[in-house]
Parts: sequence; C-alpha cells; structure tokens
Amino acid sequence: MRKTGFKTFRRGGIHPLYNKELCSGKAIARAPIPSRLMVPLRQHIGAPNEPLVSPGDRVAVGQKIGDADAFVSAPVHSPVAGIVDAIEDIKSFNGETVTGVIIAADAEQPPFEARQGKPLDELTAEDIREIAGEAGLVGMGGAAFPTRVKLSPPEDKPIESVIINGCECEPFLTCDHRLMVERPDDLVQALELMIRAVGADRGIIGVEANKMDAVEKLRAAVSDRPNLDVEVLEVKYPEGAEKQLISAVTGREVPPGNLPSEVGCLVQNVGTAIALYEAASAGKPLYERVLTVTGPGVKEPGNLIVKVGTPISILIEACGGLTGDPAKVIIGGPMTGWAQEDLDAPVVKGTSGVVALTPELIDIREEHACVRCTKCVEACPMSVMPNFIVEAVQNGDWEKAELWGALDCFECGCCTFTCPAYIPHVEYVRKAKAEIATLKG
Amino acid sequence: MANNKLMTTVAPHLHEKGQTIERAMRDVLLALTPAVVIAIVVYGMNVVYIIAVSMITAGLSEVVMRRLLRRKVTLGDLSAMVTGLIFAFLLPPTTPLWVVAIGAFLAVGVAKELFGGLGKNVFNPALLARVALMISPLALYTTKFVEPFYWRSVGFFTPVATSIDNSVVGRVVYKGLAGNNVDAVTSATPLSLLKSGRLLVDTVAGATPVGATWVTDAGRPSFWSTFLGFKSGCIGEVCILALLIGAAYLLYRRTIDWRIPAGIIGAFLAVMLVTWNHPIYQLFGGGLFLGAFFMATDWVTSPMTRRGKWIYAVGIGVSIALIRLLGPLPEGVAIAILQWNVLTLLIDRYIAEPKFGEVKKPWFNRLPVFQKRKSAEGET
Repeated sequence: MRKTGFKTFRRGGIHPLYNKELCSGKAIARAPIPSRLMVPLRQHIGAPNEPLVSPGDRVAVGQKIGDADAFVSAPVHSPVAGIVDAIEDIKSFNGETVTGVIIAADAEQPPFEARQGKPLDELTAEDIREIAGEAGLVGMGGAAFPTRVKLSPPEDKPIESVIINGCECEPFLTCDHRLMVERPDDLVQALELMIRAVGADRGIIGVEANKMDAVEKLRAAVSDRPNLDVEVLEVKYPEGAEKQLISAVTGREVPPGNLPSEVGCLVQNVGTAIALYEAASAGKPLYERVLTVTGPGVKEPGNLIVKVGTPISILIEACGGLTGDPAKVIIGGPMTGWAQEDLDAPVVKGTSGVVALTPELIDIREEHACVRCTKCVEACPMSVMPNFIVEAVQNGDWEKAELWGALDCFECGCCTFTCPAYIPHVEYVRKAKAEIATLKG
Repeated sequence: MANNKLMTTVAPHLHEKGQTIERAMRDVLLALTPAVVIAIVVYGMNVVYIIAVSMITAGLSEVVMRRLLRRKVTLGDLSAMVTGLIFAFLLPPTTPLWVVAIGAFLAVGVAKELFGGLGKNVFNPALLARVALMISPLALYTTKFVEPFYWRSVGFFTPVATSIDNSVVGRVVYKGLAGNNVDAVTSATPLSLLKSGRLLVDTVAGATPVGATWVTDAGRPSFWSTFLGFKSGCIGEVCILALLIGAAYLLYRRTIDWRIPAGIIGAFLAVMLVTWNHPIYQLFGGGLFLGAFFMATDWVTSPMTRRGKWIYAVGIGVSIALIRLLGPLPEGVAIAILQWNVLTLLIDRYIAEPKFGEVKKPWFNRLPVFQKRKSAEGET
C-alpha cells in the first residue's frame, strides 16, 4: 500500500487513475437552459410524488410541481419559468421508466427571487429540517436519500459528529472540489446548520489529499470555529463511501446492516450542504446543481451549474461536443455510474457528472472462471468475499450469497476493477440482492 | 454522433491497467528465469531439453484436453506454460524425456483440465503430477540425482538420462542419446545426506561412491554451496539466491501474497529450532524455497482470506518439518503442500474474516458449532 500518512479506512480500496486534472481547475459556469426540460417526479429514494400541475399550466422558477405525503420523500420543483407541456413517462438515467413533467421553458428566464426568511442564526432544528424538506433536498452524491429524513436521526442514537463528504473519490469528477474551492464559507455555514439540526457536538469536513487548494480555503473558513475541523484523507477509492469515510475520520465502523447514527455520525455530501445553505438563506429549492462534464471523449471538459431536467446532450454540446467516437457515456462516476444508450436522459438531483470514455479506457473481456487470486477480497472495503458471492449466485444458493456478504456490499466496484478474470461481481451482487429481497418478502 | 455504438455495460466502467491472468503468469515465468539460468550452468543443457519437453507437452495437453472437453482453448493465458516450467523444476536434471512428457501431461491434462480447468483444480497440478510419478513404477527415474557439474566429463550439450545398468540389478547409470553409458555419478542431495546420518554414502544406489565436491571435510554440505547451487537436487531448487530474486520480483508485483512464504518458512524454522536441528541445511538443502514462494502461493489452490492464508502457511511449514524429521523420505515439500491444498477447501469454508464493522469476530466463526450457537441466540 502507498503510505501517505493521511487517515483512511481500515482495509481494502483501490487506486484508479483519477484524471481529475481535466477540469479540477475550471471554475463553475452556467449551462445553457434547454427549450424543453424533462423533470422526473421521483428523483429520490422513497415514495413517488404526485404531480401538482397539469398540461397547459404556467409554472414559475422554484414552484413546487410534485409532492407526496410520505415522510421518506422529497418534493420536486420547476427549474424554469415556462408552460407544462405534458406529464408522461420518460426514461431515466438508470433505464427505469419514471413519470416526468415536460416543461417548455420561456425564452426569457427571470432570475430566482430570493425569499428572506428567519436569519440563519435563529433557525431551530425543526426549522432546518422543514427547510430541507420543503426545498426537496436529497443526497446529491448519487444515492438521493431525502435530507430531511437524514437530519431526523432516531431519538436513542445521539449524533456526535456531522461529516461533510469532500472526498469526491470517483475518478474524473470535480464538481464537489470546485464547490469547496469557490464557496467554502457557504459550506461551513451549511455545516453549522446541520450540526444544529441533529444536535451534534462537532463538524468535520473530510477531503482527499489531492484537493489541497480546497483544504486551505476550508481551513481558513473554519479557523474561528473551534467545533469544526478539516481532515485530510488518503487518496483512495472509495474514501467517500459513507461508512468508509466515517471509519477514516473517526476510526469507528458502522456494524453491518446499521446506519451511521449507530456510531453517532451523520454524513452529508458537499453539494447537498451548499443546497441546504441556499434553501435556508434564500429559500431556494433544489432545482439546479453543479456537475462535471468530462472525460477524454468530451472536447472541453468543465464544471457546470445545470437545471434539473436538462438532457445530457445539451451539456455535452455546451462542452464542445464529443470527440470522435466515444465508447461509453456515463451518468455519474466511472466506478458506479450508469452507461447510457443515448444522450436523452435528463439530469436529476443525484447526477454528479457526465463522463465520456474513449475506447482506449475501456477494458472489457470475456469472463474467465475465478482463479482465486484473492485480489477482490483484498480490494473490498467491506471485507466481504466477492468471489464467493459470485459462486453462490451462479449456483442459485441465495443463503450462501448472504452469508458471504451480498447485503453488505454497496457496489463500489473495487473487486471488478482489480479482477484478472474480468468477473463482473457487481452484476452478480445486484442479482443476489434482488433475489434475497424477494425471498424475504 | 454515433450514439447507437455506445456500450451499456454495468459499472464499474474502468479496469485496473494490466491486471490480467496472462500478466500474472508472465510474471511467474519471468521470476523463474534466474533459477533456469543457474540450473543450466550447474547441470548443463540437459535442463533445457527437459524444460522444453515439459512446457511443450503441457501446452499440447491443454489444447488437446480442452478440445476433447469442448472448452475454449486458452493457451494464451500462459497457465499451461507455468505448470510445464514448474513441473520441470521438480525433476532431477537427468530425468528421461519420455518420463517428463508423461508427467507434464498428468499435470495439465489430468490434474488441471480434468478437475475443471484453471480455477477449478483442487491440487497444484505440477505437484500432483510429481507425486504421482514418485509413487508410480517410474519412480526410479525421478528420484536419482546427479552431482553438480557432471557435464564437465560428458560435455555441456550432451543429453543424458537416468537409466538402469542391465548387468547389475538396481544399479543406476546415465545414458547418452546413443545408448552408451555416460560417465556421470549419482549423488545424494543435502537432505538425503542429513537423513542418512550425515555420512558420505550414496543412500540411493549404494554401490556408487559419492565423491561430491560440494561437501565439506566434516561430511556436511557447505552453506554457500547449498545457497548458491553447487549441490545435487531437482532442477528448480538448485540455487536459493536465484529463487529469492524471482520471489522478490513476484512480491514487488503483488502477484503472490507474502503471508504464505513468511508463514511457511517461519513455522518451519521454528520447528527446526525447537527440535534442535541445524536449520541452514534444512532451509537451503531442499525444495523449501521453491515450494514456499512458487507452489504454495498458487492462486487457485491456496485460501482466500488472510487468516486462512496464515493457517495454510503455518500448516505447510509444520507439515514439511514433520515429514522431513519423522517420515521415511528426505523431502516433504510436495506432500505437505498437496495436503494443505485439500485442507484449503475446509479453510475457505470455515475461516472467515470479519466483515467491515464486525470488529470482534472469532477466528473459527464459520465452524458449524458457531453457526448453531448464533442461530440459537437468534431464536431466544
């Protein structure tokens, strides 16, 4: 292992080529607004939203267009001023079909009008949760879990530390990096709000050591706040996975099947934190986000602030288009993202990037029988047995698959990345999870 | 834009550069090269003939068996080449070529392919074939060792093979290609010397005087000759230094796990010290290093977890020591590794590592008794 002297999680992990230099130095720019947006009504984990508008309705920027009564859900807001064209099924980035609101955007877009609410210092824990819920905040690292729910930990599990995930360990992506460099003070204010919301004692911003410019800015921002700290972490994938980050920062391990609150921690993504700050200070709901459009398949990689519902083809065009023939266009990062069949899928709240890979970066081969090299076991940050799960799935033995840790796997892809037999473990694990879920009812 | 050409495979979309089976096999071939060079110096070109026959037969066996079993031919992964080379390493430098060919076929055709091919084989193929020969009627041809630098009297390039003197029953001689007897001397390995009470007797053939130049006046093999390779033995075990250079390369490339050689050599040394045996000759005299670094580390036939690897390695080390000290044979590396190849099945089943978040978990937590206790706890 490379010894760096920085903190990291206990075991496993890999060192892919990061390729962050493609756009880590590029300031966040505003992406063009398309004439037609497709806003999925469900962009989170939890109950789906019912549409609040009908075709022909005029909508304003930030107007709520979908909501649900359930606690575990997040409302959706209109990213533009315009007219609702239709409410129809659209294909989501992960291949699922979801109900979406199609909005024809006005040619002239008025700026969002900030609403002055209570000053930040006077907000109570309940206020902050309410703001997060109303603004439709979700985890913006990809999982898209409703932030209001996350900010409501169980009574019997007090939260000590709120950790901001500034690792951005996925190769290529730089949007969180740019947010930390450009808006360190907003991030720190958001962290204070989160600490208040859950009654924590301290806040930590965990940043990988390849973003020292962000570390400096953040250290300056927290210098007069004794309860906040910036922790530099080893550059290793998946440093930014929730449980791994907690382990790296606090040395505590969340037991299998438990939530971070079990060890008194709460983890929030950088983008989510900034969104919470915007919602609390200006009443701005989450209808746009910063994401990275990058990869050797994109002519001018960059970090863009993008309206939810924008098809990725618009973003790629805004970045100079594709170079030649890219082999894959991925929504999300190259380790966990979704390869796209076409460029029609819309950006959602959880979209952290669009990465175009050229053929020389793709290395797909026929799957060989496992040669038991143990590289997957060594690489696994959850210390499960990836190759035994694969074997169990091949034999249809779901009990064994669970025994070897299929349910502990969060599909980071380290095993497949390092496998000399080119076994797609993640595919097998997904199958096992689905089967085990059906068996358990 | 040629969107219809976009690939839509499941994540992850990146793969570690050069992390392939071929690369690992190429690493092993490369790591064994120094030992090949020294073996040629010590035992002459006969070594090259044996290695060539072994590797070619191994490759052919793989092609033929996979065709017969209707599997895709995967010669390109070089695993048959590695098995062929390692099998040759386990033979005395004067093994007849037809015996080499039979053994190489047993290794790849039977021990690997009949077990299901690379990844499914329970035993290390080369070792299984070697032991099969040792307990077969062909044993005679694979247990007679020639003295180092014997080629000075017969010629560097002369092919030489172990044979039996027709006039004296049981007498071993060496024959050239033409069928003529060659002036080479059967010699004892350092370990068989030790086994026979450290005396200068040819423990194998009995009648032939040893006259081994690599033995010190006291009748013991000298340290440097055992370490550098001026001794009798199998092709591969001749030079410990050459093996260590190769092993260092494999460790650097992370092709093999350091825990296995460390556990084997550590445990072996511990037993030797406790039983007050001279460790130097035991360490360098036989196939311990070859086995510890190049055969026990075989991916397919060693355990999957770190805990399992430690158990496996220490087990092999102790087994080798016990076989050498108590058993009838001077050497025990092959048998010990094969024995633990089988036990690997049990180790992998019952020795699990704690998952992330399971901080305190007993070593044998997957043993049925623990499983039962766990389910009983779940019910109450």
